[in-house]
Amino acid sequence: MKRILIVGGGTGGTMLANRLSPRDFEVTLISASTEHMFQPSLLYVAFSHASANIARDERRLLPRHVRFVQETVATVDLKGRAVTTQSGARFDYDFVVLATGTDTDTGQTPGLDGINARFGDYHSSVAQAQKLSASLDAFRGGTIALGQAGPICKCPPSPVEGILLIDRLLRKKSLREKSRLVFFTPYPRAYPAEPINEVVEPVMKERGIEIMPFFDVDRIDAEKRTITSIEGDTITYDLPIVIPPFVGANIAYQPTDVLDEDRFIKTDKQTLLVEGFDNAFAIGDCTNIPTSKAGVEAHLEAQIVGKRLNGVPATFDGRTNCPMDLGDGRGTFVIGSFDAPVVKLRPNRLFHLMKVMFGLSYWLTLKGWLDPMIDLFFMLTKPRARAAAHGPKPKQA
Amino acid sequence: MSEAAPHTVVDSRGSACPGPITDLARAYRRSKVGDVIELWATDPGVKGDVRAWAAKTKNEVVAVDDTSDKIVSTLRILRR
Repeated sequence: MKRILIVGGGTGGTMLANRLSPRDFEVTLISASTEHMFQPSLLYVAFSHASANIARDERRLLPRHVRFVQETVATVDLKGRAVTTQSGARFDYDFVVLATGTDTDTGQTPGLDGINARFGDYHSSVAQAQKLSASLDAFRGGTIALGQAGPICKCPPSPVEGILLIDRLLRKKSLREKSRLVFFTPYPRAYPAEPINEVVEPVMKERGIEIMPFFDVDRIDAEKRTITSIEGDTITYDLPIVIPPFVGANIAYQPTDVLDEDRFIKTDKQTLLVEGFDNAFAIGDCTNIPTSKAGVEAHLEAQIVGKRLNGVPATFDGRTNCPMDLGDGRGTFVIGSFDAPVVKLRPNRLFHLMKVMFGLSYWLTLKGWLDPMIDLFFMLTKPRARAAAHGPKPKQA
Repeated sequence: MSEAAPHTVVDSRGSACPGPITDLARAYRRSKVGDVIELWATDPGVKGDVRAWAAKTKNEVVAVDDTSDKIVSTLRILRR
């Protein structure tokens, strides 16, 4: 019987635990918390006063044969095949699957810790999202500046979704005319992938949202109420909503060089094996794979690792499938893969409904009960490969 | 010891969303004046993005080579 140790009880870890048969595997899942948060709900906690469908008890999301351990992992020794926790407990394994997600790191940006402690944010915790909701309730007009402080944003559609939902909120409260909405981004346009930007930027402009591209946050001055970029531009705000930089979990690895500078795990983008090891996988937000940090990746990667542990040589194709709420009852999807460029999908109400449905079915999806339906959805919406993606290109004149 | 400037290769091949420009922005944060960043990508949008990024940040595009199976953009950091 193979001993599988899953580190992390988020989307990826929980999905994988539900896909390993007790006939073949002895599965242990370690998580720091018994609470499993549906992370996309933070958007609606912050901007729509949502209070339902946010979190459940992780132990009720796992099959009975999975041993759940509530501990904070301190070290992962990939050579010694052992994980230790802060309490000193040691877990040996035959295969380890790292599904440790991301941490937010406000310390990277001077001034960010102070403003997020005061105004809240919608990427770290339910309490922070509720604080942001209260900040918006207290807002009576002025400038709201929203954007990301680091180059990586977990859930890439979430900054645009945030500003569009604020626009809707202010219109409902008849405060929109008294407000200036400024959206800043380190990228050349509102959404980094151009086909999606072609969909969202006109919507943002139509709603009077100012876009500041190439705005890579350097520092925040709470007294002067300014955000300044590396490029030297400055925004003066009344309410700042700054998405913190993201880093990998604070776990010491052996060898140390399996982590990159931001503590993300160096992972083969197709096999999902940790670089240099054939019995260690990494899935979801904790990897350095060049794709979105989003639930769909954790979902698909958990399925691939489940197959590989069963001896099926499946590989990850980099598929993204992120729904995006445009704040007016319409939605779109960001769909692409390693070989296929992101597709431009005209926003409509059906896509928005699909986003809502994905949210409502999340808990069943974790358990694998909807796999046949969801696998079919992924098959039908598979993006077409870019022409000659891996072949030599004709020389340009 | 080589006297060449630090040369960082950023492998963003296959990145469609959020795209190679996010990896360049990340490498820029860790760079110093004089560094050379070589960005590998397969997304053709990278060519325009790299030039626009360099113009805004006042850095130099040394070369953009799309004659192989990847698009290699070489940038020299002049300003941080």
